[in-house]
Amino acid sequence: MELLYQYSWLILFAPLFAFAVIIFGTRVWDLQSRPLGEAPASQAEAHVVEAHGAEGDEPSAHSVSGEHGEHGDYAVNPLDDDEDPKVAHLTPGAVVSGYAAIVIMALACIYSWALLLGSLFTGTLAASGVALISYDWGVPGYTIAFHLDTLAIAMMVVVTSVTLLVQIYSQGYMENSAGYARFFSYLSLFAFSMLVIVFAQNFLVIFIGWELVGLSSYLLIGFWINKRARPDEQRPSPASASLQAFVVNRVGDVGFIIGIMILFANTHSFDFAYIFGHVGSIDKALLTTAMILVFCGAVGKSAQVPLHVWLPSAMEGPTPVSALIHAATMVAAGVYMVARTYPLFAAAGPQALGVVAWVGAITALFAATIALVQSDFKRVLAFSTISQLGYMFVGLGVGGDLGRGPGMFHLFTHAFFKALLFLGAGSVLHSLHHATHREVQDMRQMGGLATRMPITAITWLIATLAISGFPFFSGFYSKETIIGLTLERGDWGLYIITLGTAGLTAFYMLRAYILAFGGRDGALGGLWGGTYRGEGVPHESPPTMTIPLILLAIFAVFAGYWVGFFSYVQPGDPSLNIPGLLGSIDTWVGVIVSLAGLGVAYWMYCRLEPARLHAVVENNALLRGLHRFLYNRYYVDEFYDWLIKYVVLGLAHVAQAFDTYVVDGIVNGAASLVTFFGSDLRRVETGRVQSYMIGFFGGAAVLIVVVIVLVTFVRG
Amino acid sequence: MLTLNHFLVLGAILFVIGLYGAISKRNAIAVLMGIEIMLNAVNITLVGFSFFNQTKPYSTYLTGQIFAIFIITVAAAEAAVALAMVIAIYRKRNTVDVGEIDVLKF
Repeated sequence: MELLYQYSWLILFAPLFAFAVIIFGTRVWDLQSRPLGEAPASQAEAHVVEAHGAEGDEPSAHSVSGEHGEHGDYAVNPLDDDEDPKVAHLTPGAVVSGYAAIVIMALACIYSWALLLGSLFTGTLAASGVALISYDWGVPGYTIAFHLDTLAIAMMVVVTSVTLLVQIYSQGYMENSAGYARFFSYLSLFAFSMLVIVFAQNFLVIFIGWELVGLSSYLLIGFWINKRARPDEQRPSPASASLQAFVVNRVGDVGFIIGIMILFANTHSFDFAYIFGHVGSIDKALLTTAMILVFCGAVGKSAQVPLHVWLPSAMEGPTPVSALIHAATMVAAGVYMVARTYPLFAAAGPQALGVVAWVGAITALFAATIALVQSDFKRVLAFSTISQLGYMFVGLGVGGDLGRGPGMFHLFTHAFFKALLFLGAGSVLHSLHHATHREVQDMRQMGGLATRMPITAITWLIATLAISGFPFFSGFYSKETIIGLTLERGDWGLYIITLGTAGLTAFYMLRAYILAFGGRDGALGGLWGGTYRGEGVPHESPPTMTIPLILLAIFAVFAGYWVGFFSYVQPGDPSLNIPGLLGSIDTWVGVIVSLAGLGVAYWMYCRLEPARLHAVVENNALLRGLHRFLYNRYYVDEFYDWLIKYVVLGLAHVAQAFDTYVVDGIVNGAASLVTFFGSDLRRVETGRVQSYMIGFFGGAAVLIVVVIVLVTFVRG
Repeated sequence: MLTLNHFLVLGAILFVIGLYGAISKRNAIAVLMGIEIMLNAVNITLVGFSFFNQTKPYSTYLTGQIFAIFIITVAAAEAAVALAMVIAIYRKRNTVDVGEIDVLKF
């Protein structure tokens, strides 16, 4: 076992290795083996065109990269409104790139499962963990160090498993993409970045991983660089969405890095264990401030209010990327970081964890209400992720004796069912794309898909029930634990918010399911099949896409039965007490609220006529206003637009004016003052020696007189 | 009876005469002569101080006289260089009027 732990750094570097193999090996092969029209273009040319496509938004850039880019000379389907360049068939280089990424990730996944099972059953992994790599580059305190402990293993299993399934799935989803090899290399880079965070032993490394995750998400969200914005569906272009994700995360990172600096200034170390040990030497109020600032980083990365705006925009990336971002690699980083530094939060004043819990609770409710009315299939899921992340922070905030357990448990179960939801959504979009030759994400153009794609539908239903907290699915255990904990702490505000959000979650998830897969005239009272409102004939996706769905569905049901999770991630904690949970009244209150949400959704979308529902909302001013308010996501995006446009840019203009007129004015004024006097003074320099002589001796005479006067009258 | 004051007054008168000549004369040669007079005025002052200062040891009370000898040497060299320059300027510009030699300015 000891050897197994010692070599676990192989898991960390496996995705990086895959990235290098693809970028420097198979992708080059892919590009070179591609027929590029008449002139066999070199590698360099392909890169030039690709870069051109990345920067240009004008139509000419589109046509250039669309026809000749790295993508060969294959005709783009004129019906295809998705401007992502396609190839007719993948080259061997591209296929091998995919296999390289999958095989390496599969090995890493097997290794991490071996670590999990090994440490779970032998219990040989010390609570303090095992140090793996430590590289000190000469400056004391600044160490690149990785270590392995149970928390890292629990997270690592999620990351490698979800990444592996997403990569297998991407083989089907990206089947015709011209950037196939590039896509797999970015997925590997994304997994590597997240694993850096998972293995990090100090704040320095976690921050490096943090920024790497930001970079990889930027590359992947903006993967379809040529796609344009769709103002009619309120969808930004992927290029601006990726930029938004990057910039919004920077806002949070400012707080994060200031928090790290406060901790470093007071303990002279980045090392987690060292800071935990010396936490007593930090002033309590200062520590609380530092931890709230560190939490700012998590707010940005985990898309909590008010920095949540990037996550719905990030839906513009390919759907497997959304699954990865939402389940394992990006938003989980914030939760993991808070769990990792949990002893510091616990040592700080109660305000620190209070802020964590309340930000989480407000986010959960806020995002859930928005998700109620969204019509974009993926955007519902985006807001549900934000909402569930809010639950995780509530779980961390109210953890109490259980510490990081409840929040991480919800992260663990959520990773599987949210990946399943996204991959299922991707399966639907993929199939609709084949059926309609357009990109369809609006649920009003779906419906009745269950009979047409049964595997996707059944797995999606399982995930819906899991996220709704339906009894005996995984989400039930993690979510009811958190809701129960808020009640146990006696915080009624948190309890009511989390309880209400559970009902809302159940409502909007079943609503999305019925709108996409069911309909009034379907079987099972409308839950299975029904009228399809779109064009074409959708079919079930290929097995490379459905097999990951089935595997994830198994986890979505059973992940909650790992009762030892709390004691695993935080030794000494009690296990999850399932009979106790089932016997407690507040659990069943939660279940009733969730069932009520499901029931209302069923009644509204399976029993009522859509036109009547529409009429009721349209005829009631209050409902109509509320619907518009929620549909526009509380106008937060508009508010930020306004804020940037008038306040930030206004301040920038003031600053620029200050620079132009005051700073430059002082500098230029000094110069012109000297010039002004100099132009007159230069007349003194006549070139005549005798006038200089007069000046010299006259000056000397004046000085002598002054000295004599001073000596005579002042001293004497 | 000669006192130090006689020497100092003579030095001062000579210095001022030299200064007047150096400043007011237009001829470069005359200016040079004025400068020579100023140098010699300083020499007289130094020698006078040296002569009337008997309280210092032998090695130091000759300092003023040695200075004067140095100044005579330097003045000779200076006169040679200056006259050479005056001749060069005359060849170039056909004049030795210092009022017209004013190229070295802004």
